Amino acid sequence: MNKIFTQRIKAVRCATGLALFVCLSQVPQTSLAISTAALYQQPLQESVTVSGVVLDDADGQFLPGATIIDAQRKVLGATSGTGTFSIKIPKGTSITITMIGYAPVTRTINTDGEKLTLRLKATENALSEVVVTALGIKREEKSLGYAVSTVTNKELTNAMSNNWTNALTGKVAGLNLVKSGGGPAGTNKIILRGENSLDGNSEALVVIDGVITSSSSGRNTGTGSGAYLSGDSPADFGNGLSDINPDDIENVSVLKGPAATALYGSRGGNGAIIITTKSGTSRKGIGVTINSNTSVDMISRWPDYQNEFGQGDQGQDLYYSYLTTADGASTRSTSSAWGPKFDGQSYFQYDPLTRTTSATRLPWLAYPDNRKDFFQTGNTFLNSISLDGGSDKGNARLSITNLQNNWIIPNTGYTRNTVALSVSSKLTDKLVISSKVNYTNKKSDNLPSTGYNNQSIMYFIRGMVPNMDINWFKDYWLPGQEGIAQSRPFSSLLDNPYLIANEMLNSSDRNQVTGNVSATYNFLKNLSLMVRSSVDLSYETRAQQRPFSSNKFATGMYRSQNIYNQEINNDFLLKYDNKFLDKFEYSVTLGGNNMVNRYIRDELRADQLLYPDIYTFANSRNPVVAIPNRSKYSVNSFYALGSLSYDNFLYMDLTARNDWASTLATPTSSDNISFFYPSIALSAVLSEKIKMPDFVSFLKLRASLAGVGSGSTIPYRTAYAYDPTLFQSSLSNPGFIANSGLKPLRTTSKEFGLDVRFFKSRLNLDVSYYKSNTYDQIINSPLDPASGYSSVVINAGEIQNSGLELQLTGKPLQNAKGFSMDVFGTFSLNRNKVIELEGDLTTYIMSTGPRGTVEARVGGSMGDLYGLGYERSPDGQIVYQDGYAKLGTNTQYLGNTTSPYKGSLGANFRYKAFSLNVLFDGQFGGVAYSLTHSVLAEEGKLTKTLPGRYNGIIGDGVVLNADGSYSPNTVVAANTANYYKSHFVRDNVESNTFSTNYIKFREARVDFSLTPKMLSKIGVQRATIGVYGRDLLIFTDWPSFDPEFGTIGAGGEIAAGFEVGQFPPTRTFGLNLTIGI
Amino acid sequence: MNTDPNRSTAALPEALLTPALWDVVTRNNNRALRLTNELMQVHVTTSDGDEIHRYVVRPNESDYMWTNWYLQLTNFKDMYNQAEALNNNTYMAMGLICEVYVTSLITDTFGDVPYSEATQGKEGIYQPKFDKQQDIYLDLFRKLEQANTLLSTPTALTEVQMAVEPLFGKDINNANTNKTLASTLTTTAWRKFCNSLYLRLLLRVSARAEANSASKMAEIVSNPTKYPIFSNNAESAIIKYTTVVPYVSAFYNYRVFDFSGNNGISVFFANNLNTWGDPRRANWMTLYEGAYSGIPSGYSRGQVPERESAYNSALMNDPMLGNIINYPEVQFILAEASAKGYIGGDAKTFYENGVNSAITIWGQTVPINYLTNPALAWNSGATLDAMMEKIHLQKYYTMFFTDFQQWFEYRRTGHPNLPKGPGVENGGNMPSRLRYPVNVQSLNGANYSAAVAAFGPDDLNTKMWWNK
Repeated sequence: MNKIFTQRIKAVRCATGLALFVCLSQVPQTSLAISTAALYQQPLQESVTVSGVVLDDADGQFLPGATIIDAQRKVLGATSGTGTFSIKIPKGTSITITMIGYAPVTRTINTDGEKLTLRLKATENALSEVVVTALGIKREEKSLGYAVSTVTNKELTNAMSNNWTNALTGKVAGLNLVKSGGGPAGTNKIILRGENSLDGNSEALVVIDGVITSSSSGRNTGTGSGAYLSGDSPADFGNGLSDINPDDIENVSVLKGPAATALYGSRGGNGAIIITTKSGTSRKGIGVTINSNTSVDMISRWPDYQNEFGQGDQGQDLYYSYLTTADGASTRSTSSAWGPKFDGQSYFQYDPLTRTTSATRLPWLAYPDNRKDFFQTGNTFLNSISLDGGSDKGNARLSITNLQNNWIIPNTGYTRNTVALSVSSKLTDKLVISSKVNYTNKKSDNLPSTGYNNQSIMYFIRGMVPNMDINWFKDYWLPGQEGIAQSRPFSSLLDNPYLIANEMLNSSDRNQVTGNVSATYNFLKNLSLMVRSSVDLSYETRAQQRPFSSNKFATGMYRSQNIYNQEINNDFLLKYDNKFLDKFEYSVTLGGNNMVNRYIRDELRADQLLYPDIYTFANSRNPVVAIPNRSKYSVNSFYALGSLSYDNFLYMDLTARNDWASTLATPTSSDNISFFYPSIALSAVLSEKIKMPDFVSFLKLRASLAGVGSGSTIPYRTAYAYDPTLFQSSLSNPGFIANSGLKPLRTTSKEFGLDVRFFKSRLNLDVSYYKSNTYDQIINSPLDPASGYSSVVINAGEIQNSGLELQLTGKPLQNAKGFSMDVFGTFSLNRNKVIELEGDLTTYIMSTGPRGTVEARVGGSMGDLYGLGYERSPDGQIVYQDGYAKLGTNTQYLGNTTSPYKGSLGANFRYKAFSLNVLFDGQFGGVAYSLTHSVLAEEGKLTKTLPGRYNGIIGDGVVLNADGSYSPNTVVAANTANYYKSHFVRDNVESNTFSTNYIKFREARVDFSLTPKMLSKIGVQRATIGVYGRDLLIFTDWPSFDPEFGTIGAGGEIAAGFEVGQFPPTRTFGLNLTIGI
Repeated sequence: MNTDPNRSTAALPEALLTPALWDVVTRNNNRALRLTNELMQVHVTTSDGDEIHRYVVRPNESDYMWTNWYLQLTNFKDMYNQAEALNNNTYMAMGLICEVYVTSLITDTFGDVPYSEATQGKEGIYQPKFDKQQDIYLDLFRKLEQANTLLSTPTALTEVQMAVEPLFGKDINNANTNKTLASTLTTTAWRKFCNSLYLRLLLRVSARAEANSASKMAEIVSNPTKYPIFSNNAESAIIKYTTVVPYVSAFYNYRVFDFSGNNGISVFFANNLNTWGDPRRANWMTLYEGAYSGIPSGYSRGQVPERESAYNSALMNDPMLGNIINYPEVQFILAEASAKGYIGGDAKTFYENGVNSAITIWGQTVPINYLTNPALAWNSGATLDAMMEKIHLQKYYTMFFTDFQQWFEYRRTGHPNLPKGPGVENGGNMPSRLRYPVNVQSLNGANYSAAVAAFGPDDLNTKMWWNK
């Protein structure tokens, strides 16, 4: 069986073996598994102790969670996290080691103290794979009528990234990460099966150990500034999701469609990411695992810069002069590179020693590495230690992790400390109490400002001209004016990058606690009640400081935000299962949930300071401005799940849920707050009953139909109220009209799937087709502003997503000498269609870039890019006038900003103690606008702007004749700078829009695991050393840095489609050492 | 349940005034820089892709003002309603005056626009019908009459209200310890603003007989007790920008480059001032190689001139940029009305008052013998066209950075006489209006179509009712 891509977790089966729904998620697997072991002592017989280690026969990896049973299928114990076990049994007992997905091995034990090394072979037909589904309920995969993808810890940590969600790329068909690329925190937005929400809220639900975190600690809070030339610049402060320590994750279950997430109710409509963290395992003594990870980040891709011509504006290509000299007027302040060719000549230039014009003419030179030299090699050190142990009475796991990051921009990075505790205690045979708590502190003295604006580094980098040496900027204050006046030897528009890095700081200190406490009472073997309370809290203090003489804040600035997020959930689950008529089994689960979400963001601003370099509110020149913001909403729910199976081959699930959402209430009425939605899912394992051809080893069909309702997570849209303003004692009418009759939105989805395995499961294919329609979205529908308002809150629209997902796994090679090869691949295709908006409304603007818009137009797709383009003749040629390309006057469709096709291909090679993993992934069919390209081209920085310099150039196109006809353009554009500007001016969205297709060499890892023999010599249970690489190569035509990007907006949202001063992408090399004692 | 803790369900009229008026004036400044000053050759861009100086105004230019004017109109009308409920004549009048001011900007920019049904989205009118400009204007006059009447029996302003009143109240409150007197001075100032604005709008439509402008202007001028108007610079309606957020100018957050980096003062703008030796040059522009010099507007594509004089960066935070309507403009209005015989009085006196006060309002001293310069001196025997050119050349500078007024007046009168560069498009015709915003076609389609059918094609060259 394939390990990288399997939809399986290595979990024990329940004590009752065949019962489907006994395994409660909240009851740690092992405590059930060993529950009868202690009772089995038979005093009259001689006891022997046997211990051992259980290994995967194929790769020699430990198998934790394998169950040890006797001939009567009584559970005797289970293997620990390092695959070991130790049990006391009557002499002569025949024990069987079982593990889902592996063939059982049986031994009869007659000798006391016997030590066994057992190698389990993977079974050809892994029919009983258990997966985690909604509400953490573990289910046999074959019983499910919808697709679930599981990603294991190993897959997540193969090529470790600071944000573990990066490791989901290429491993789940239909998963799309929109990456902020905004620095070390690197927030990602996770979209499953396409966007469906016009208000931009299409993100998957994130659930950590049953705690829903997406709307609390997982929420992004923006700085209020957009990426493009806004008042200040946004920084990516990250969120709780990116800060989970990947070493603490046991597995991630990806539930893609509403059928899978129906039990999550209103918030599960966009799919869910279910994260289960590790628990303690039953073992002798304490298991200690030490994990050390060191990685370095290096920039992997640059635009195609030219280094043949130096600084100079249009028409300044004949000479250069730093300030006015004998050679002519100054040409030093432009950010353009239309100046003279580097041809061995000399000019009066900047002298870094005197900080002014050189005394003599100096050789005219390019500094080809001047941009690269600003950046440094990033590094990350991640060290963790975990302790775990357990007995039949309970188990516990504690881990402590420290992460230190220095990013590629000097003086940026963060530290993170995480403590994770999982405890479970079996107080009586019937009562189990358990808790998981995760505490994280993340602290940074400086996270980089993003976007295209003065205080962003990339704004400076694009402004650099070839004849600048970055070293000239290192002393960033003018002598004698430290703290007051920065040194800007060239353009005064560009803040000195070392001033940005060292003085324009964005700091953050976030404390976060995510955890739950639950109690499960088993009234009967088949009747249990779980009650649980979970909390997700985060409190973050942020501050921004800007020094005197910065472009945006001439007398400095200091702001701070206190951000509090809280979500508390209380829920219960009552479960009952039984069988009837021999072949029928059923289970019924009833549950209820109460959720309260709170958010407080208090901001203080001192936008002018009295004295330089004092960042306190006491130093504010004006009264400190306070901007408070708080919100609260709650949802109460009841739900039920019924499952019925027949003869282990036909399965049916029915779910029903009713929600009561406060966001739909008005201050005086709660008439609309209740809504109900059901789902049904069917699964049939045909190969169990129908004779298949020999080469088909397994065939399952599945189908589901689901409805989900949602009351939205934005409160206060049902009553009219005045907005506060910054002016004293003032209010303003709101821009939108509230709606007291808001209804919930609805999503209905259909899904059909096929799971087929060939050649004794050497080749497995899983196919899903889905179609989901979202109706009655709660949107701010735009109005003609002549109505007095920009928008009205309404229920409207129908968006359809349909698509195909393929997952392929195979084992083409496996030989007796221990060499094996696994391959796996994913492919997904999503078609998004805007079927209807409101009434006559034909378009809905989703986001606006520096130029152009991303829209949802009726008949088109969400994410369609519109903007101005070339004026073209009827046959499509570019129209030139006076030798220069003309810009058209009307906006046009330029492509879709979401790639509809995504795929990945990976392989895993193993030979004895060595293993090698590689993963490639790609996306196809999307486009995006690149501001970086526009500016670099306008300023003559790209090699594509070299042709025509000095001699002029004739554009390929036509001219409009006086009689209205067109003829070929023959006019030489004498001014080459203006020629390129006429093409690549940022208003021309068409010429600056490029395909975002790419193929990336995403992951590679070589592991060496010490064999048990070697381990026993050095006295450790497990030791693995791995070398890995991440994002090693990018194959793309994207002209800027990285076609895989998003841009952080004012509200912290991450939007695709407009690249606005992106950071360079990095490739990561790392070394990982894991030792288990 | 679901009650917003961040907002308020009730608003006093005085709470609505400052943010709304500030928003309108700062946005007007913003577009004065982007549109008016390009079209009217105050400056010329040195960015070849920006073609407004060539009379290329893309459809997406329209949305900004349409949206923000109408959104603030909601506040001004709400202010009237809240004041009416409180029987507060003063705030009712202020609401009306501001509404008229903003509505006149909307209709003079676009033509026929939603008016009678506008800003009633809260009452369920999402697609307001368009009204004829003539009907709009006549109703605006009615509202100004009503405001003037209300202010004849004003409700006294409290000290708290005075302190937050953005146009006159704050200054008057600070300058007068007698608070009863301060209130009277403030309400009188608004009344003068009301009637001065009335004069501006009457003159704008004076070519239409049905507007009856001439006799109304005569009535206003002859009865200063009933229709007081500005009598000196200090009474001008100007939002006085500070550098304390949020009481800041439209350009407070601009870098100098954003304000003037690609904007070179035009030849036309610089040379007139040079001819006159005008002291306001020091307020407005930088020296280029020791002189004030401009570059030509309407240059051909690819023939971008290098910037010479630029805006003085101090202008970005200059309190005077917040001009709504000032005393010198009123004097030039009276000069034209007098020259055309609408009112009595001496056009020369009005003209010279205007010229002098337009300089002193910028804190400058009128140079000795300034008005004897032949380029400036009033010639009572000149043709009406020559008089108009003289008045409007002065008025042009007086309305520096004042929303779209230079452009409106040029469209009405053809003055001042602007040179046209070789690169101008649109048939060499100054745009007569802005197109309706693109999204109005989809969001208010039926009414849009009806308006275009009645008013004329939705392009740059359809004339207003007042200059048809």
